[in-house]
Amino acid sequence: MIMVEDVFSSRGRVRILRILSEIGELNISEIARRARLNYTTTNEHLQVLERADLIMHKSFGRIRIYRFNEENAKARAIRDLMELWEQKNKYDIPKKVRNV
Amino acid sequence: MSYASIFKDETKLDINYTPLKLQHRNTQLQLLNQYFRHTIETSGKMTQRVIITGKVGTGKTVLTQHFGQNITREARQRNINLHYVHVNCRQNKGSFFLVLQQIVTQFHPTFPKRGYSAEELLQTLMQILDDQNIYLIVTLDELEPLIQNEGSEPLYKLSRIEETRTKTAKRLSLICILRDLSWLDNLDASTRSTLQSNIIQLDAYTKAQLQDILNDRVLLAFKQGTISTETITLAAELGEEEGGNARYSIELLWRAGKYADTEEIKEVSPEHIRKAAGNVYAGIRRDEIIALDFHKKLFLLGVARRFQQTMGVHLSMGEAEEAYTIACEEFDEKPRGHTQLWKYIQELSSLGVIKAELSTSGQRGKTTLIGLPRIAAVDLENELNKTLEQDRRGLA
Repeated sequence: MIMVEDVFSSRGRVRILRILSEIGELNISEIARRARLNYTTTNEHLQVLERADLIMHKSFGRIRIYRFNEENAKARAIRDLMELWEQKNKYDIPKKVRNV
Repeated sequence: MSYASIFKDETKLDINYTPLKLQHRNTQLQLLNQYFRHTIETSGKMTQRVIITGKVGTGKTVLTQHFGQNITREARQRNINLHYVHVNCRQNKGSFFLVLQQIVTQFHPTFPKRGYSAEELLQTLMQILDDQNIYLIVTLDELEPLIQNEGSEPLYKLSRIEETRTKTAKRLSLICILRDLSWLDNLDASTRSTLQSNIIQLDAYTKAQLQDILNDRVLLAFKQGTISTETITLAAELGEEEGGNARYSIELLWRAGKYADTEEIKEVSPEHIRKAAGNVYAGIRRDEIIALDFHKKLFLLGVARRFQQTMGVHLSMGEAEEAYTIACEEFDEKPRGHTQLWKYIQELSSLGVIKAELSTSGQRGKTTLIGLPRIAAVDLENELNKTLEQDRRGLA
């Protein structure tokens, strides 16, 4: 079983999750390009995320297309968290003001 | 007080606009519906192949787009997952791979752009159709460049793919649009025989038919009372003279409206139409020029200018190359090499903008001779100057 810390302990995995939750579906090379990772690392991360049921893939001949697993409650929760996080950053009170 | 345009919505005169009401093509629309009846009545049992042919501006594209909208609407009502995809082969550079890629990206917009063959892409398409239980009607518009570049292969594969899939539902139907049926002679016998059973011929529009089409567009595009019946009649007459070309008539209206706007006059007059007729060349579509690569435009610009200097019938390859280099200097671009230019000439020739032929006697050695049979050099230069300037602004 993939533990929650296994998912979030890697910057690359989080980046991949964010990319797929935003775009929906992509092939490995494109994920690697956007996440600024190499192909092998991306592939390894994808396998972990797939084992955690957060993403799924479909093969078209040699092409593998990965997509965010909308049906999985954990995946949806992660996306909500990411969206909330972005919002939070946007509305965060600047440090200087907080100190006053 | 500032001048208000006479246009209500000029996009209704755009070449890509599909009117809600289809004028004078209902018989052909019914025929198409009949041919494809099975896709909604007995989905998956059989597929269909239809060819639509007719001269420029006779409503081939608009007819199929109408049909596509109607049949997918009807399929939705019956809960059938039928899709219609319209692909222009010329815009896809006559490449089977690019044509298939455009179709696949309708279903998977982020599908990778490279890394596989056309054959694999076709298999992918069929897999997508099976997986998602989709029935698909593909229209291959302006088929000629696809035949020219790739011969029989694409059409053979598209029309025969279902034969190899005996255990699955039949999902892929084809509509092919071409101006001239003689292009089919370039196909091998077996491909020809699969395609040629259903042919719909679109005849040139008559003046009265063009008038009806124009009246519809005028209502949508112009403000009330800004264009008279006699002006519309003149645009229809000129369209009829150009081989019943509705597109030409519509473009005349648009351009005439632009002239009226420039002069800040509140009504389009027949004189505006005549002026427009002097500047719109029916044989070459403005959008075809606009769609060309930057360097093809520069090459044409050079050719158009050199023709105006020489006043001759032909230019040699060398002369054209020289004129192109000067155009490149003007636009601060590095000129493309000889082989690339030769390819440009072949492509522009297949597009019909120029005519390329091999020199015969009277000249030492062999060279490609370039002619400009369908458009005045000065008009071509004006058109190119405008579009190149827009490109340059876009690039900056």
